[in-house]
Amino acid sequence: MTVPLDLPDSARRAKPEAGLAGMGGTIQGRSLGQIAWLRLRRDRVALAGGLVILVLVLVAIFAPLVVRLLGHPPTEFHEDLIDPSLQVARGPRGGISWDFLFGLEPVNGRDLFSRVVYGARISLLIAFLATLLSMAIGTTMGIVAGYFGGWIDTVISRLMDLFLAFPLLLFAIALVGVIPDHGFGLSGNTLRVAMLVVIIGFFGWPYIGRIIRGQTLSLREREFVDAARSLGARSPYIIVRELLPNLVAPILVYTTLLIPTNVLFEAALSFLGVGVQPPTPTWGGMLSEASRLYTIAPNFMIFPGLAIFVTVLAFNLLGDGLRDALDPRAR
Amino acid sequence: MIVFIIRRLVGAVLLLFVVSAVTFSIFFVVPRLAGATAEDLASRYVGKTADEQQVRQMADKLGFHDPLVVQYGRFAKGIVAGADYDYGPAAEHCPAPCFGYSFLTQAPVWPDLLDRLPVTASLAAGASAIWLLAGVATGVISALRRGSIFDRAAMGVALAGVSLPIFFTGLLALGIFSYTLGVTAPGSSYTALAEDPAQWAYDLILPWITIAFLYAAGYARLTSSGMLETMSEDFIRTARAKGLPERTVVLKHGLRATLTPIVTIFGLDVGLLLGGAILTESTFSLNGIGRYAILAIGANDLPKVMGVTMVAAFFIVLANLVVDILYAVVDPRVRLT
Amino acid sequence: MNRGEPAVKTRPAVTATATGAALAILLAACGGGTSTSGNGGGTATAGVAAFNAGVGSVFNPSDAKGGTLRLAHSGDFDSLDPADTYYAYSWNFIRLYGRSLVMFAPAPGAKGSTLVPDLAATLGVPSDNAKTWTYHLRPGVKFEDGTLITAKDVKYAVERSLDKTVFPDGPTYFNDFLDLQGYTSPYKDADPNKLGLKAIETPDDATIVFHLLKPFSGFDYFAQLPATIPVPAAKDTGANYKQHVVSSGPYKFDTNSIGKSFTLVRNDSWDVGTDPNRKALPDRIEVTLNVNADDIDNRLLSGDVDVAIEGTGLQPAAQGRVLGDPSLKKNADSAAIARLWYTSINPDVAPLDNIHCRKAVEYANDKVSYQNAYGGPAGGDIATNMMPPMIPGAQKFDVYPGGADNHGDVPKAKDELKQCGQPNGFSTTMSYRAERPREKAVAEGMQQALARVGIKLTLKGFPQSDYFKLYAGKPAYAKANNLGLMTNGWGADWPDGFGFLQQIVDSRVIRATGGNTNLSVKVPDVDKLLDQALLTTDLVAREQIWSQIDRTVMDNAVVLPGVWAKTLVYRPSNLTNVFVNDGFGMYDYLALGVKK
Repeated sequence: MTVPLDLPDSARRAKPEAGLAGMGGTIQGRSLGQIAWLRLRRDRVALAGGLVILVLVLVAIFAPLVVRLLGHPPTEFHEDLIDPSLQVARGPRGGISWDFLFGLEPVNGRDLFSRVVYGARISLLIAFLATLLSMAIGTTMGIVAGYFGGWIDTVISRLMDLFLAFPLLLFAIALVGVIPDHGFGLSGNTLRVAMLVVIIGFFGWPYIGRIIRGQTLSLREREFVDAARSLGARSPYIIVRELLPNLVAPILVYTTLLIPTNVLFEAALSFLGVGVQPPTPTWGGMLSEASRLYTIAPNFMIFPGLAIFVTVLAFNLLGDGLRDALDPRAR
Repeated sequence: MIVFIIRRLVGAVLLLFVVSAVTFSIFFVVPRLAGATAEDLASRYVGKTADEQQVRQMADKLGFHDPLVVQYGRFAKGIVAGADYDYGPAAEHCPAPCFGYSFLTQAPVWPDLLDRLPVTASLAAGASAIWLLAGVATGVISALRRGSIFDRAAMGVALAGVSLPIFFTGLLALGIFSYTLGVTAPGSSYTALAEDPAQWAYDLILPWITIAFLYAAGYARLTSSGMLETMSEDFIRTARAKGLPERTVVLKHGLRATLTPIVTIFGLDVGLLLGGAILTESTFSLNGIGRYAILAIGANDLPKVMGVTMVAAFFIVLANLVVDILYAVVDPRVRLT
Repeated sequence: MNRGEPAVKTRPAVTATATGAALAILLAACGGGTSTSGNGGGTATAGVAAFNAGVGSVFNPSDAKGGTLRLAHSGDFDSLDPADTYYAYSWNFIRLYGRSLVMFAPAPGAKGSTLVPDLAATLGVPSDNAKTWTYHLRPGVKFEDGTLITAKDVKYAVERSLDKTVFPDGPTYFNDFLDLQGYTSPYKDADPNKLGLKAIETPDDATIVFHLLKPFSGFDYFAQLPATIPVPAAKDTGANYKQHVVSSGPYKFDTNSIGKSFTLVRNDSWDVGTDPNRKALPDRIEVTLNVNADDIDNRLLSGDVDVAIEGTGLQPAAQGRVLGDPSLKKNADSAAIARLWYTSINPDVAPLDNIHCRKAVEYANDKVSYQNAYGGPAGGDIATNMMPPMIPGAQKFDVYPGGADNHGDVPKAKDELKQCGQPNGFSTTMSYRAERPREKAVAEGMQQALARVGIKLTLKGFPQSDYFKLYAGKPAYAKANNLGLMTNGWGADWPDGFGFLQQIVDSRVIRATGGNTNLSVKVPDVDKLLDQALLTTDLVAREQIWSQIDRTVMDNAVVLPGVWAKTLVYRPSNLTNVFVNDGFGMYDYLALGVKK
């Protein structure tokens, strides 16, 4: 329903039962996928979002290459370009030049462009993996609750209520604090990333779970499910072969819409100081440091902030487009 | 109806109970499972030059040697029945709801929380009023002028709004309006409403607008799509056919039907905000519930963390409860189960 | 401590001459009377603002009373209770509402670190080879309710400060040095008056006698601790006493909202005739707590706040603005403090157990980068050894010169690596306090500098509240987690080599249970020298030993010195009587006045 951050996300709180009713694949002739693709192709805004995402992902994957072409290594100091008493780049505009596209980080003179580029790696990695986790748990729980009903549904629904009643951001911060710094055969940043994925992903599943449960509830009363059942199909078969294919659309839409929320969640955690260890750059972490220095080095704040904004916006645009394309009733 | 309300109330209390148990486990059980001894935990709360004996005494005083169940029982009992606290020369009674005493400052947690609540409440009140008005108005106009420049611009801004982290817009706003133009109050500004209403509003206007910008965006989108849906329904056509003026059709029939889900979400959002706008309060350095929580977590002050988690969960549960009940009252289709 | 609020923790940093009693009395006489301005070495600068005008002299001297002094704190006091506080700023501020037996003279320059009698009429009189110390109280000093202060109130105050379960934060000097004979706390005292401690005698209402376990010639420094500020037993509410401390100074609490704000107003029972040290210029003192540090700076610059109470100096953003603008810079002072920012090199962690590997780290270190992390030249001078030059007897020397430009001596470092048997470098972990951007910057800079010789650092931030207690300061943890380098910092409690060095170089203060500040120095020669120094009564000879200790530690390469700290403090134009007190390394709060 509501997002743990003090910022809203209309996607998550749309009443799932209302929002996607009738999305269950009753259309004959062209497959849902084909129709959706036709619609999506006409939606230039969504395509632009998709394109931006593609570029971001490529930039993240090929960050070393991008940085070699356009910047300096992200951890390399350029203290000679920093005014020692003022602690910021010498000259105007925070050191923005052809050599340093986004200027220099105060104090140590690192290349902000490279750091923003490398920041995309952590942000996207955590957001994708956490979303996958939420999706896996949420889908499983949602289908199980919706399909079996009865006490199973009650238990899972209460569990979802419970999760939604937790002040999640608070919890996430506290949890990161008490978890040891090596374990599960992992250590250092690998463990930190894994932990952030687990925490963000684990807290995200009820949002998807509720939606899938609602969809499953309506699907299981449909004729084709009855038909399968009367033919003697067992529950696992029905769930995997009959229900799941019909749930692909909402899963896809809400997964896409969960990614930007998780990008924001990761940024918020880093902003509050519980992200990965330095010198690995993250957008939230950069903003957190910039919050002390933005009055004298505005570029330190603006570029990581814009990076978050562009990423989240792109996913939101694509997600909206997907929803419109997959939902026959949408405008 | 009454049975329904009672059932939901009992459910809510149970939920809070579970939340408290889970919170307690995270802070008291998880570290123990990770191998920390009672003395390890206590060593955080002694002075710099403490020796082993002082650490042991502190562990005793804070009750870390007791079984975890006993420790939890003490916490839960304090909330329901109050507790006594040893101050040295004399014990003091802390009346219910007693969330215990800070491990570090030894001050009772509950008055602290009550002290911080007005800041968070002021933040939530002002911001929610702005975003509700702005969001719904924008949404309605967008829906009525579908496809117009206003609609496109408004929906574009709305999408941008939900895509911006508040710690970015907050800093940006502070940088521009407070530190460059000097038209709004700088960070850390707060004046109590009772003290000086004008100053109160002046100090908070920037955080209000910053929060409202993000929330209004979502509300505008919801209102707009809701209106579009409603306006295509049969009863609107009937109303129009009756010859009612368009204004009445839109405001009286269309908007009213759209508002029900909006009110629901509004209630939940306000509940969530009351539990601590962590990011906003951190960005603007306002000493509300959220910043209190962050400081408490940073200092490992467990009673404070427990207290603030409970308060936050309380507001979320309360909001859910109110919304559910209102929903049941407003919408006859909701079955009271 | 461990509150996580102040960005930089300043423990009482006391500097300049460790004086004999005679010299201190001489200076006290010189600085006596009601005016501290313009006496002795300090010159008064009347109203002409200039950079450093508040260092070594009184800026804007004034005797005009009235107005409100507004202070702001980015976090909160550890406690307002005199028994429970351990910050330099707090010891500076507490003199406004409490009078300890002796105090640091409120005077600019070196005089500020000399002791003068306060509640006592003279400094302590030693007997029994400095194992017994006697003080006589000034007559006529009263609590805020008008009752006369007696020696029993002082004794009771010291007694209660011994109870570390109720008052965990204060220093433990009295616990460690008094002949307690098992006494723990007045709250568990069978004596009906709660005055059962044998180590302190009060033969009459004006006399208090301390009996120590061992001779200690510097006991007057204990007598200036806030723990000797009298507390009336009848008004003592233990941990709750901080809600309303009963004043013995010129100001008393008017309102006190813990964690938020408090105000002090004039205490009518305070008599200027009993107090030669305090000017008490403002009518009212307001302290706001938990204000974001950058916001405090902005308010200082705009004149909405008079003093940032922690005295840790401007934040980076404001520092940049002030130093870049001559019209602001003329209102700033750069105060040197007896504090060293450094990195401990852990000899428990392989291959740093080999001295050549440690030396490789010392040579590869980029000293300029270290200084930049602390704010460049404004944040302090590059440290080449441990003892800050302002500590008497300190000698400056450089065992590991960093090349012509101070960016490190890479060939030397590589050579040491070869001798260590690690010609291609090695990997280790460097810890820092996660909430401190400057320590993080140090770690990141170190990572860059050491990478030049093939030493790979993994950086690890820990919550500062647990840094010494559970992680870096716990030997078993540090070893098991391969913490080879650990950022650290230390400010002296005490104005001599003992006060600066003992807690960070004596191997015998290291406790397996954690909470150590000495993270790496376990050198038997150093321990021997320390013992020798305590037996050496001759001041010059003793100061030479301190320096010898400094050199021995450096030769062992277990400490990598970073920066001898300075703070950049701002003095808003409406402040009068402003000067940096060397004893605290910040503005003297007792002297400040405001233009109305």
